[in-house]
Amino acid sequence: MSDTKKKKSASSKAATPVTDAAVAGTASTADGSVVAAQVADASEPLALGEARFLTSEALGWLVEGLAAAGTPAVAPAWAGDAGRAAGGVGDAPETEYRVVSGAAELALGERLPRLSLKQFFLPPTEVLFSYKRNGADIELTPAQAARDTVVLGARPCDVAALPIVDKVMNWDYADELWNARRAATTVFSLSCKVEDDSCFCSAVFLGPAALKGSDGRLTPVDGGYLVEAFTDKGAAFVAAHADAFADLPDASANSAQAEQFRAAARERVAGNLQVDHGRLRDWLDHHFDDPFWASLGPRCNGCGVCASVCPTCHCFDIVDEPESVGSGVRRRNWDTCQTCVFTLHASGHNPRGDQNARYRQRIEHKFLAYPLKFGDVLCTGCGRCSRACPTGQDMAEILTAIDARAAEDAS
Amino acid sequence: MTVTQQTQSDSPAPQAASIYQPDLVVVESIVDETPDTRTFRLRFKDEAKAASFEFRAGQFGEYSVFGAGESTFCIASPPTRKGYIECTVKAAGKVTGQLREVDVGDVLGFRGPYGNVFPVDDWKGKNMVFIAGGIGLAPVRCVIWNVLDLRDQYGDVTIVYGARSVSDLVYKRELEEWAARADVKLVTTVDPGGETPDWTGEVGYVTPVVEKTAPSPDNAVAVLCGPPIVVKLTLPVLERLGFADDAIFTTLENRMKCGVGKCGRCNIGSVYVCKDGPVFTAAQIATLPQEF
Repeated sequence: MSDTKKKKSASSKAATPVTDAAVAGTASTADGSVVAAQVADASEPLALGEARFLTSEALGWLVEGLAAAGTPAVAPAWAGDAGRAAGGVGDAPETEYRVVSGAAELALGERLPRLSLKQFFLPPTEVLFSYKRNGADIELTPAQAARDTVVLGARPCDVAALPIVDKVMNWDYADELWNARRAATTVFSLSCKVEDDSCFCSAVFLGPAALKGSDGRLTPVDGGYLVEAFTDKGAAFVAAHADAFADLPDASANSAQAEQFRAAARERVAGNLQVDHGRLRDWLDHHFDDPFWASLGPRCNGCGVCASVCPTCHCFDIVDEPESVGSGVRRRNWDTCQTCVFTLHASGHNPRGDQNARYRQRIEHKFLAYPLKFGDVLCTGCGRCSRACPTGQDMAEILTAIDARAAEDAS
Repeated sequence: MTVTQQTQSDSPAPQAASIYQPDLVVVESIVDETPDTRTFRLRFKDEAKAASFEFRAGQFGEYSVFGAGESTFCIASPPTRKGYIECTVKAAGKVTGQLREVDVGDVLGFRGPYGNVFPVDDWKGKNMVFIAGGIGLAPVRCVIWNVLDLRDQYGDVTIVYGARSVSDLVYKRELEEWAARADVKLVTTVDPGGETPDWTGEVGYVTPVVEKTAPSPDNAVAVLCGPPIVVKLTLPVLERLGFADDAIFTTLENRMKCGVGKCGRCNIGSVYVCKDGPVFTAAQIATLPQEF
């Protein structure tokens, strides 16, 4: 067991992957005791002896044990009582990420949760500090500290968003509230079966089993999950709950099955969208005034649901909320560049005065500005914006249309 | 991390103050500039903070009225005058409206200084041309006093300032002071119809008055601030007068919330006005999408 731990710890040095593919070949270690494949791309065979087995039953105990110990465990769970049926969208009950306490709530690998994992790191609303008047003076009390939390079975697209958003939260000024939650949270992703035609993770440098942001990963196999740890945090969690994580019943067969699952998913998503990001960026950079943008605004209500469901959208508002004459809280709330008031000056002047400009901002920020500034596309291809849009804006369709124009320009 | 062994109470201890928590400042004095615009002089409550606080011309802050919220204003006093900061605020929204009710001695919040700076050190020996419209004089005033406080280090100083009407001119006492100085050339103007019977300044919009004043571009730097329309119309005039596009400086006044490059509101393309600005040269402005 100690030998296993040592290897896991060593392997964690290589665990800041950008994509499945990017990891392959980079996972060499200082002492050479771990083969690269252990944390490598799913196309490589798994190193035997490193992965653990979490039975579906053990996952239930684990969640119940964590709840009993007071550690929030966030997992995909049935939304509403006994899995409320989704209204008009499909037959399968909806799911959501939430703090779970019982096995019956768990819905790993079922429908894509309605909201991304973002809410556990950047809550829809949070207290930044509270203020209290004391005579002429004012007393400020900072927000509460983050709690140790574990995430079990989040989609790789949701998990990959975390290190992407880390960048804006830490250039120059460090957002301690975000960072504290990141530091206090251990995240295990779940290799994804691919939801539907709106998924396009493979078109944004990720994949249905991408490791980006994951401390560990679960992959469905017969009877439960094959579990890998990629960081010290992930390995420590597995070690601390060794009773739940068993040896694989048949390491070779289990690994092969896990790889088969991931390969099938990769194949499933690959056809959904293909984009040449270099030429796409180049087109965006030179077509700020292109008539194309005027085709998007009229199809947008400016409701901003796309930003709410997006794992990477991070824009926020800061407002005061009085609780009495002399006291209250300052809050940070989710906001979106899609509303007409987002950039509105007090004078009435609005730099982005129409929905064409606001929709252009959404696309350009994600696929031009953020990559230029921070080196990452601000999109993980989860497809939630396309599924949620009441007017049928489809991100994959829009990117395809821009890419086609970019290809025309390039030729 | 040993997650399960750690029993957590329901209310974890507060963490350290975040970047969003302001310092407390006390209102030391208030000047009513116009019927809707006031200048506040603020001093940090914490003496150590007051002593260590430094900023440079062009920077801004997030000012809090607790219960109403935060608003973004430049620091309108010069960094050459220590111990306090000033901001000049026009009542327009929730926070600025609430600032109408603030009295001397009240406690407000301040986060900053944020943003980049006017390169005033690089301008030593240059002739300075200041152009401002309306409340845009606030950021320019910071640089004007910075230069005048180090008067022998700079060349000629020309100021062109315009407002909608005589009653909308801010810093009236300072305008008189500048007008009286032999080492400052001050041209004030009000929009047509905004003049009073005893108005002796120009009548006309800022842009044509700049054209008429025709400051020399030789060894000169122009600092231009005002409503977006004034900036947009005056930039080409300055270029026609012969100012190079990297000798014209302005500030962009995009709406902000966080001030520290997170909240996304002030984005213009890949630029965060709060971090990469608010000071930009005309050359830089020309490369930006026209979203300001």
